[in-house]
Amino acid sequence: MSGACEIRVGTCGYSYPEWVEAGFYPPGTRAADMLPLYARHFSVTELNFTWYQMPKAPALERMLRLAPPGFAFTAKLTRTLTHEVDPGRWRGQVALYREGVSPLLEERRLLAVLLQFPASFVRAPASRLYLAQLIEALEGLPLAVEFRHASWAEERVFRELARRRVSLAVLDAPPLPGLFPTVEEVTHPGLFYVRLHGRNARGWRSGNLQQQFDYDYSEAELRGWAEGAIPRLAARAARGVIVFNNHVRAQAARNALGLQRLLAASGLAPAPAPWSAASST
Amino acid sequence: MERSIIHLNVADFAAAVERALDPRLAGRPLVIARPAAARATVFDMSEEAFRAGVRKGMPLALARRRCPEAQLLPPRPERYARAMRVLFETALAYSPRVETGRADGHLFLDATGTRRLLGPPMDVAWRLRREVRARLGVTPIWTLAPNKLVAKAASRLVKPEGEYIVAEGEEEAFLAPLPLELVPGVERCDLRTLGSFRLRRAGEVAALPLEALRVLCGARAGFLHEAVRGIDPSPVRAAGEPAPEIAAEERFAGDTDDEAELAAALARLAGRAGAELRRRRLTARRVRVVLHGADGAEALRRAALHPPTADDFLLRDAARRAAAAAWSRRVRLRGLALACEGLVFPPAQIELFPAAGEAGEGRARLMAAIDRVRRRFGEEALRVAAALPPETA
Repeated sequence: MSGACEIRVGTCGYSYPEWVEAGFYPPGTRAADMLPLYARHFSVTELNFTWYQMPKAPALERMLRLAPPGFAFTAKLTRTLTHEVDPGRWRGQVALYREGVSPLLEERRLLAVLLQFPASFVRAPASRLYLAQLIEALEGLPLAVEFRHASWAEERVFRELARRRVSLAVLDAPPLPGLFPTVEEVTHPGLFYVRLHGRNARGWRSGNLQQQFDYDYSEAELRGWAEGAIPRLAARAARGVIVFNNHVRAQAARNALGLQRLLAASGLAPAPAPWSAASST
Repeated sequence: MERSIIHLNVADFAAAVERALDPRLAGRPLVIARPAAARATVFDMSEEAFRAGVRKGMPLALARRRCPEAQLLPPRPERYARAMRVLFETALAYSPRVETGRADGHLFLDATGTRRLLGPPMDVAWRLRREVRARLGVTPIWTLAPNKLVAKAASRLVKPEGEYIVAEGEEEAFLAPLPLELVPGVERCDLRTLGSFRLRRAGEVAALPLEALRVLCGARAGFLHEAVRGIDPSPVRAAGEPAPEIAAEERFAGDTDDEAELAAALARLAGRAGAELRRRRLTARRVRVVLHGADGAEALRRAALHPPTADDFLLRDAARRAAAAAWSRRVRLRGLALACEGLVFPPAQIELFPAAGEAGEGRARLMAAIDRVRRRFGEEALRVAAALPPETA
């Protein structure tokens, strides 16, 4: 059963000049050349610039031309819909977002739009209503939701996500009070979505991304996922996306490669990187 | 080396600062101008007033006709300067390379090489915006690009609010569909020339080979060829680094008190400075003149240029005004220096109220023609009569 699940492993973002220094990209690699090189190792990436900036269709079209066939994307929802919501204007932002990601959708390369909510987004009537309205407004797009606040870790929430066929992001993060825990739930049989943030408890609330996501998973920690949660999640979904967010010194890329290796060893072959075959010939 | 340049821009800065200080001004058109002044002109305006047709530099009477419901406020430059200082200090926490112009709500920040310490530049830009909003109550546009020209073009595109990221390698594709007037450094005369050949977008000009562009635009071709491709190697000046200026000086053969001789020298220096400005595709906001007296004393005066210009004749006229003010003592002169200050990209949009009117248009062409002749036949090939020594003129 688990063999039927198509698993893709990747990282949150791929355009990191410091990954050249760390040896993941060859010396002298320019930003414009990173995606094709990345696609030699991985079959998916999570676009994080779409959180900072409303995606623009022409830019995504140009990016698509750099990606090999078979390479897929997930994209964060823009901050004006998750972190800085203006009650009077958010519906307009949804329309812009839809327009922006349309090239990915048209080419069937978009596996999920990630609605990542901040820790301040606590389960309460107003936030529940907003979430329901947002999911409705985004109808037609494949959706995954990541909560950071523990108040959402409720059976009723999972049931409601399942009813709406929205994936729940399964997290790996430091075990801090109030933080959404690791919950092995598959709320959408079409896709499970795992995000590994690293377990840097000290840096997590520093307000500095460089400290928050500075972490290197050990072989044992990766093995825990490869032999534990992932096979269980894969048994219940047709597809899976697993992304590493501990990007600071290219640990994400190293850990993702390590996890791919472990998954292959345990019989869960991750989808091959589209250009890996080409690069070896 | 790939660069990460952030452009932070508070649109309609003066109006935005006034509104942050008095929330009652929100939601209705606002025009900032000194009503008591004879022939008062608009200093700044809010987006609503802009949409009603009000522009900077427009006579106030006309602005009132276009937007009669606008609230009028006198300009308070000290407020804007204070707000600009806060903007600058906020940015300085993220990079020592922060370049500001006047108190106009713009700054460039070079975030190259700060990733390890501060995280991705787009995150720096977003945090900066958040901090500026918290400290000043105004919401800046932020853009991120591999150079200043593209970052500024992106700001112009999203104005009055928003953000834009142009990745390295994306510069030309980003500019291609944009109207030429959004490309920083493209001047009025370029727009006219290119427009007459139905070239209105950056991509249309980028499609021309340099030689073809040279036939159309002469000396401007080199700059335009690079600008429409989003090429701009100019650095972000470090905070505290002196503003660049273009200077030239002369010593008289013997001490003189001949006004005609001084006037000719000023014309020569203005011509040299103007040519250098045009070569660097810049314009000046001010001319500074220093007169060296035979007694060793120096006298310094400045004259302003509205709008900023690289026109030899306007520079010369300003220099003469400054020199007349500086030469207040009856003392013979040993030499003089002229400097152009406040160097900026020429204004992007076609001026609605150009100081020199149609004459300005002809003037720009004349300047370009003079530059072409001098480039080909040498500096001495063409001289302005006013710059000749008095006895030969």
